Amino acid sequence: MNYPVWELYYLNSGTLIAIIAVLHVFVSHFAVGGGIFLWLTDLKSVRENNQELRFYVRKHIWFFLLLTMVFGGVTGVGIWFIIALSSPWATSILIHTFVFAWAIEWVFFIVEIISLLIYHYKFDTLSNKIRLRVAFIYALSAWLSLFVINGIITFMLTPEQWLQTYNFWDGFFNPTNLPSLVFRTGICIMFAGLFGFITAVFMPQSDFRTKLLKYCAKWLYMPLPFILISGFWYFYSIPENARITNFWLNRQTSNAVNAFLISSVLLYLLTILFIIKTSRRFQQVTVFILLLIGLLWIGGFEYMREYVRKPYVIYGYMYSPSVLVKDEEFLNKEGFLKHSKWSKIKEVTEENKIEAGRELFNLQCLSCHSIRGVKNDIIEKTKGFTYLGVLVQLHGQGKVRDYMPRFIGTEKEMEALAAFIVKELNGKEPSFPLIDEKITKLKTEIPEFKPSYEYILLAWNTLGMKCASDADKWFSFLSLGNNLEALLIKRGKKPEIITDVEISYYVEKGFENPSKHTDFWNYVKFTFGKEVSKDKGLTGKGLKGNFELDKERGIFKAEGLPVLPYKDDGVYNPYPIFDVTAKDKSTGKILQKTKVVAPVSTEMRCWMCHGGGWRWNNISGISDETAINILKVHDRKHGTRLYESAIKGNPKLCQSCHEDVIVKSKGIKGHNSFSVSMHGLHANYIPFKDERACALCHPDHPKGNTRCNRDIHAKVGLNCTHCHGKLDEHAVSLLLGQENSRTAKILIKNLTPETPVTQINPRKPWINEPDCLNCHRGFQKPENNKRAFNFWVENSNALFRMRFDNTGKIPCGACHSSPHAIYPAFNEFDKNRDNIQPLQYQGTPLPLGADMKCEVCHTVKMDRQSFHHSNMFRAFRNKQLLK
Amino acid sequence: MDLKDLIPYTESLPAPPQILILLEQLFFLIHIVLINSILGLSLIIIYKRIRLLSISSLDLDIYRPFSKQIPILFALAINMAIPALLFLQVVFGHLFYTSSVLLGTYWILIIPLLIAGYYSSYIHYKKFESSQLAKFTIFAVVFIMLYISFILVNNLSLMENLIKWSRYFENRSGTILLWDEISIYPRYLHFIVASLAVGGLFYSLHYKFKKDLNQNLRNIKIKEGLKIFTYSTMVQVIVGVLFLLSLPQKVMLNFMGADILATLIFILGVIFAVVSIVAGLKGKLGLTVIFLSITLIAMVINRYHLRVFQLGEHFSLSQLNIVPQWDIFAIFLIILIFGIAVILYMLKIAFAKGDRG
Repeated sequence: MNYPVWELYYLNSGTLIAIIAVLHVFVSHFAVGGGIFLWLTDLKSVRENNQELRFYVRKHIWFFLLLTMVFGGVTGVGIWFIIALSSPWATSILIHTFVFAWAIEWVFFIVEIISLLIYHYKFDTLSNKIRLRVAFIYALSAWLSLFVINGIITFMLTPEQWLQTYNFWDGFFNPTNLPSLVFRTGICIMFAGLFGFITAVFMPQSDFRTKLLKYCAKWLYMPLPFILISGFWYFYSIPENARITNFWLNRQTSNAVNAFLISSVLLYLLTILFIIKTSRRFQQVTVFILLLIGLLWIGGFEYMREYVRKPYVIYGYMYSPSVLVKDEEFLNKEGFLKHSKWSKIKEVTEENKIEAGRELFNLQCLSCHSIRGVKNDIIEKTKGFTYLGVLVQLHGQGKVRDYMPRFIGTEKEMEALAAFIVKELNGKEPSFPLIDEKITKLKTEIPEFKPSYEYILLAWNTLGMKCASDADKWFSFLSLGNNLEALLIKRGKKPEIITDVEISYYVEKGFENPSKHTDFWNYVKFTFGKEVSKDKGLTGKGLKGNFELDKERGIFKAEGLPVLPYKDDGVYNPYPIFDVTAKDKSTGKILQKTKVVAPVSTEMRCWMCHGGGWRWNNISGISDETAINILKVHDRKHGTRLYESAIKGNPKLCQSCHEDVIVKSKGIKGHNSFSVSMHGLHANYIPFKDERACALCHPDHPKGNTRCNRDIHAKVGLNCTHCHGKLDEHAVSLLLGQENSRTAKILIKNLTPETPVTQINPRKPWINEPDCLNCHRGFQKPENNKRAFNFWVENSNALFRMRFDNTGKIPCGACHSSPHAIYPAFNEFDKNRDNIQPLQYQGTPLPLGADMKCEVCHTVKMDRQSFHHSNMFRAFRNKQLLK
Repeated sequence: MDLKDLIPYTESLPAPPQILILLEQLFFLIHIVLINSILGLSLIIIYKRIRLLSISSLDLDIYRPFSKQIPILFALAINMAIPALLFLQVVFGHLFYTSSVLLGTYWILIIPLLIAGYYSSYIHYKKFESSQLAKFTIFAVVFIMLYISFILVNNLSLMENLIKWSRYFENRSGTILLWDEISIYPRYLHFIVASLAVGGLFYSLHYKFKKDLNQNLRNIKIKEGLKIFTYSTMVQVIVGVLFLLSLPQKVMLNFMGADILATLIFILGVIFAVVSIVAGLKGKLGLTVIFLSITLIAMVINRYHLRVFQLGEHFSLSQLNIVPQWDIFAIFLIILIFGIAVILYMLKIAFAKGDRG
């Protein structure tokens, strides 16, 4: 931001640094090691009076000079040129701090040059003693120049004390200086042997040549233990968070690591070909392959060294795009462009938004990304995201995966950058989609009931909304499978629960063949690991059948009913009705009939960020494009092969890695559970934390196609966050409750929820849910402004859907219905939809028996407090909401 | 956009700027003399090759030593550029990096071209006899030197003329050149002519010390070199005047009385240039070298003054913040002295009489 940006969109100036620097380092380490090699080999030739060896040295010097002085020397200058073009401000800081170190290095250079020129041109005329002295001077000054530059390079990674003192010595003698120096000296010796082969293989075939090759091989093998030991020493001298961020979180580093490891093995193995008897011609060809492997080896090392420094160019001081760490806070407040000297635009407006975005891209992204270019092509990285998706990425950037710096600038500047990326680069509209789904109004027939009827048949869905991830071709994390529960009560002064009865169910017309609308059955053997017949659920149950008696709980249940919100006529209906009938087992006589809604939704709005759209009839489900984008980004970030696996017809269940009690999967130890992963990650990225965040993934958008948050609580103005917490609170409670997590600390560290982290109680997903009785203390009216967030039930038996009344016989759901659809519910599809049974049995949508209508079950009015639970015997509190 | 707003922030200097500027100019002077020698000698060799086309290659052989020297000169010239560029960047870095980015694509091409040029000079040495390859390689050396110097002239002119910086907003691909800036042409020509002049003197000096050639031939060659030098320097005086006149008036007037010191040094340089021509015409090689050296010192200072005048209000030494690193500077000086001593020692033992022959 201090300097103009060289707009190299295709090549990326960082790539040029890499090319020039790796080539230079390859040759310059030879310049040092080769110097030592020449001195010692010449010395050996003198000691042994070996003319053949002397002749070899003579030849080698010429090769050495041509390679190191010309190519090595000028590429060194080349690094200097290119870093000043790519990161002038960072270069300026280095120059102003270390100019005298570089000046000292230059003195060693000139001594090197003069000594090498003398050594070469005067080789035949100097006495052994003088000649060897000159060779030694070369070797020493070469190593000393390494000593100097090593201090500066290692400073960039571990400036440590310098960050406080700005003292030259603190910067130069930093924590990685010595390990790196030893490591690099080892490399120099190694390369001496490697390059020694080049001149050796072209010597005429003789015993001497064979001995010579073995001699060169010794130089390659000897430093190996030092390289290994100092390599580990170097690695562990790097700060732990730099290692975690860049060797673990950054998947790209593994490319460099693999290149390094593979070429290490190849290098040392192929060298054997020069020790054993192989043809001269073969060796002359192989030596160049060996050289390429050596180049790959040093390239792998240097790439690792550069990667581990991310997101900084000077660690803890300046970010890669040349922004000072200490300026970040102030630039976020005041604006990044305002303080960028070479930005044409200082303030973002609607008209200059795209241009402003380009400036921001140049200043903050171009240092590492290219456009349709060779490195980190930004179009490849962003094409799977919408405008919101890019904004969300920019918002979360650098928080979890902190090998990237965070976006620096105001909200408007973030929008400008997102607009540039989405519109200019990806050709899409930089706007939020309008959500205004047209829902199809429904009509619900309320079954008949007369006061003379003997039985009350109650049925309810355990969950207020069963969600299904409709992307089975690509992945699955929630299969279809509603769970219905039922209870048959024989009415009377003392009502009786009847269990010796057959209760059957069947789904309404148009929903009988869900297999026509989903890929679930095509892939269930991959996602859930079992063969399931078409139109049957994972439990084996179909859309027509019988309830089973749960003897332990004393209620009937029909689990895993594979109903989908996709009607055969193309209408999206997330509230399909099941007819439930209780029959006498022996006579078959119908005792009572009722209807119950089995709410199911596939409204997961992943496409809002991940692009694509709806899968089914442009109304709901996860489209192929969306699913592919999700898998590709997961593969990229985590090194998985989910996309490839799905393409091969083997889609994965997300919980096969991420533990989840709701699908009964243990996952892989060390991975966060599914809910923790989803919420933990997205909480860092999504900028808003209120109920708008929930609506991105859960089917409760007020203008969406499901609108699942529909009960009395919603009507009095409560939204998800009142009980479940805002997105970041929700995420923190889950992260705190995750055991054996490798990443919880990383995911929590940038979250700043309204409720401080230290005050948030950990919870396990699906088990530690909000406790209704925390607000409804003693079943009373809650205090004003009471939040249920942060008070969890202790175990699953205390969940609303598992609890019973004080008799221990009637589940809460029997009289109150499902969570999020508690009577009276206000379903926008049809106001009666979720209130069928209270309307059927008592003519009001209120909970069964509410408003002192005990006669629903007891046939007579009761005159005392209820035993079912306290504070029941009163007028219903919120009747005015029914109007 | 106010020009002032484009000037990047500067970092603190680790030593008083005067010391750094002195070091920059000293090493630049050595560097440019070496570069002038390379280009001058190369041009002379090309001329000789063309002229001697029809004559046997034996006559060309007398110039072979130059082909050996050119790569060595390259090594030294590149090395001397390092401290020049280094100290330039400490004082003027904020301006120099900016101008470098503006012509970044041309600037970075210097590196592969320099490698090619340097290797060409070695091929020219090793394949001196072959006429085609040798001609090609020496032409390559000349072309590359001309390219590099043209880009450097553009870079420094851009650095010193902030008004041109706004061109960045039309062209961000690093390909800005100052074709329309009139002063770069005489400035560039000044360098080329200087190369011929210094090349000519180098030529003469070479034959002066070439003891194994017969005296007559040596004298002819020395005279020839001096001729090249004197005629070039005569042209140089005119080019210099054109250069002066091509500058903006305010800047020009500084050298013509408005700035006493600049004017004095400028006049001194011109006087000694003329005096060196006279000495050259009189065949006095030693004196010519001395007078030219003084001229060059004056010219290098002129160059610095030009920079300061062109930068005008946008740069002043007093703007710079100094946080001295005296300890490391002292160590550098000690190492420098020690390094020079080692070099002198090596030269002594390498060229000592009575070594194994």
